[in-house]
Amino acid sequence: MNYLYFLYMDFLAKYNVPKILGNITFYIIPFCIIAAVLLVVVLILVLAERKLLGYFTQRKGPNRVGYWGVLQTLADAFKLLIKENITPGKADRFLYNLAPILVFVPVVTVLGIIPYSGEFTFVNTSTNIILYVVLAAFPVLSIFLAGWSSNNKYSLLGAARSISQVLSYELPITFVVLSIVVLASSMNLSGITLAQYSSKGLAGWFIFPCIAGFCIMFISILAELNRCPFDLPEAESELICGYNTEYSGMRFALFYLSEYSMLFANSLFLSIIFLGGYLSPFGGYLSHIIFGDSQLASFLVYFEQTFWLFLKSGIIIFVIIWIRATLPRLASYDLIKFSWVVLLPASIINLLWVIVYKYLTGGAA
Amino acid sequence: MDKKFNYEEFIKSFNVIGVVEDKILFEKDIHDAIKFAKNTYSFDMLKNITAIDKQEQGIEIIYHLYSTENNENVRFSITLQDECESVTDIFKSAQADENEIYDMFGIKFLGNESLKRLYMPESWQGFPLKKDYVQDDTRLAWNDSSKDV
Amino acid sequence: MTAVKTFKLNLGPQHPSTHGVLRLILELDGEKILSCEPDVGYLHRGMEKMAEQMKYVQYLPTVDRIDYLAGCFYSELFCRTIEKAMGVEIPDKVKYIRVLLLELNRIASHLLWIGAFLMDLGATSPFFYAFREREMILRYFEKLTGQRMMYNYFVFGGVRTDINYLEDIENIIDILPQKIKDYEKIITDNPIFLTRTEGKGIIEQTLAKNYSITGVNLRASGVSYDQRLYDRLYNNIEFVPIVLDGKDSWSRYKARILEINESIKIIQQALEKVKQLGDLRQVLINPIRLKLPEGEYYSEIEAPRGLASCYILSDGSDKPYRLKWRTPSYYSVNLLREILRGAYLNDAIAIAGSLDIILPEVDK
Repeated sequence: MNYLYFLYMDFLAKYNVPKILGNITFYIIPFCIIAAVLLVVVLILVLAERKLLGYFTQRKGPNRVGYWGVLQTLADAFKLLIKENITPGKADRFLYNLAPILVFVPVVTVLGIIPYSGEFTFVNTSTNIILYVVLAAFPVLSIFLAGWSSNNKYSLLGAARSISQVLSYELPITFVVLSIVVLASSMNLSGITLAQYSSKGLAGWFIFPCIAGFCIMFISILAELNRCPFDLPEAESELICGYNTEYSGMRFALFYLSEYSMLFANSLFLSIIFLGGYLSPFGGYLSHIIFGDSQLASFLVYFEQTFWLFLKSGIIIFVIIWIRATLPRLASYDLIKFSWVVLLPASIINLLWVIVYKYLTGGAA
Repeated sequence: MDKKFNYEEFIKSFNVIGVVEDKILFEKDIHDAIKFAKNTYSFDMLKNITAIDKQEQGIEIIYHLYSTENNENVRFSITLQDECESVTDIFKSAQADENEIYDMFGIKFLGNESLKRLYMPESWQGFPLKKDYVQDDTRLAWNDSSKDV
Repeated sequence: MTAVKTFKLNLGPQHPSTHGVLRLILELDGEKILSCEPDVGYLHRGMEKMAEQMKYVQYLPTVDRIDYLAGCFYSELFCRTIEKAMGVEIPDKVKYIRVLLLELNRIASHLLWIGAFLMDLGATSPFFYAFREREMILRYFEKLTGQRMMYNYFVFGGVRTDINYLEDIENIIDILPQKIKDYEKIITDNPIFLTRTEGKGIIEQTLAKNYSITGVNLRASGVSYDQRLYDRLYNNIEFVPIVLDGKDSWSRYKARILEINESIKIIQQALEKVKQLGDLRQVLINPIRLKLPEGEYYSEIEAPRGLASCYILSDGSDKPYRLKWRTPSYYSVNLLREILRGAYLNDAIAIAGSLDIILPEVDK
């Protein structure tokens, strides 16, 4: 990153751009890149979900547009773009238009703080795990805005459900994240990744001392993402998609996009804090095994690290889709009860266990 | 409680016009008769209520009672003009049937407060299943010759 | 102190979980339902008025449309009433063919219900699995009658053509029990499914009788009333009516699963009887000249959704003077008023779904 920074500053200096402007813009550019790459990722995710759901239910999934249906999501996205944007007559226009824009901001920001490989993090702050947890809960605000401003009772109910859901599931997440901080003695995502390094490969991953934490985190993330079986805020058969009932066209697409982006970001986060992030599941990297200690190998390692991270998060996404194909939806009161009665105590016990574990294995006193 | 239904015994205690097969014809007091049948002979289900427009004789209403314990059917019939006692306090299912009969025949059931237009729109005039119902209603586009459909 | 404000929610008529065009006007306090007022009639086709304008044979094809998921039952009910009026006793083979098709139709209807109910609960996959099996049955019906849903196969005094493709039925009843076991694996003991259905939507016996609920819903409340026991079609066929006493949504689900298994047994018996009996001999009534003798005729049948009945009052002409259908779903809709009170919105959807309401039947 530093290398890129100097390259960029040199480039600007050539055209006599003030240095302060360069300092500001340098951090904006990566987010533009993320937004662009995100579109592609989401297109792939949506296609993967539809294909997988198809296979789970003995159908073929989309298979008409393009080879193997690859262009189907692109066609759908295009359709959404050219659709009319309808605003309900009695909606609060300002908030109604603001909500879909606001929902997209935290998503892009969150992806900026993820360490994709050893040398590749857009924004690397020392306590970015806290930043992540805060930003990941942020979309619920715009979901509430959307539900409130739509002036639709179904949307309002969806928004209310969403708020209560995030409120109750944010606490277990925080406790699990705390236990990870204890384990890694670091609040930086890169630091957490490196803390999981072990010469035996996956033996150092935090999932092993903290398996309960992983389960709690996984369930809570399902709830935060409004994924099945916690998809109450947008329950199709009850609230007719809840908060985004009234949205159409591009605004709906933004909600859709942010939903899948958050799925992607959360699966990345989960694989970073539990599954060793970009570390290889074997002791060494494949590039080193194949190409030895050549320059090419040390260059390829960065890509390989990204590959491992994406593979891990891909497996998590697969499981999430699998769950969607299998389970019915929980009732709203059961959902909140489950969080306060089961998950929260479990996450506190998990935190205590992690502290004991850390003490026993001779960690920092 | 689980007494088998006895036609003769039953007919004696009520003012009955006659009996046709399993149908007992009443002149009045249908509410009391149904209550009596439910409490005494365990007719615990009112399968349905049918109304028939018999033109000059009035409208015949047939109550189809059933006993799940004895597997017995009995029908009570009453012929009247435009008002009838409601049996919703005995059988809740009568609410559905009475509402339908009100919608189709215009019979008012005394004691049933929640009668409303059911299948027909609120503003609909006339009662479709009555024999004197005029079918060429000009509000319908296909009956109005002035409109080009 | 300000009073607690409630609000009204208009559930339907266009809503994915109302299985058609049911409209429920709910008064909500948060997500808790204070009162429910069903509003029906969006699919009213005037079946009873229509009958008074048509000859019996003209009316015959339309009766399938009363319940598009179980068309056979209303066809059979109408034919049965006419046969009763004309004093015709249908031959054995026709009886067994009718039993065969009725039970196949019942399975198809229950399968669709299982799919739709799980869809209401938010599980998408069982819907496709149930449709896969239902498709086999519909394919068979299409092969035999030329129609997938509106069969119009029963005629006065017989059936339209002799039964055929019996090997397809054998195939269906070979495959189905295994598939039902598969459903039970993914649905019956699923903990989330249990929390959504166990103890939810309890219908007490007296309440069910009071609201004139029949069919599976009544039997899942512990009342053993199955019209098939008193049905002449099922005279020589052995079966046990499914009676569960859980009274809740789960019992209604389980009862339908068990009823499918029971129907498979009935089909096996009917199939053997059909094979034993030789050529089809029918006592066909000439439908064109059909005039019912003066009088009232009443008959009943156990449809998938409950007891259906047909009442015909004839004045001796070729059209009925009055024709009345009893459609079981209509009474289930009426029950919603009672059992949705106090439930939460997401339970309400599950409870309404568990009653197997179908709107064309309600609206007639």
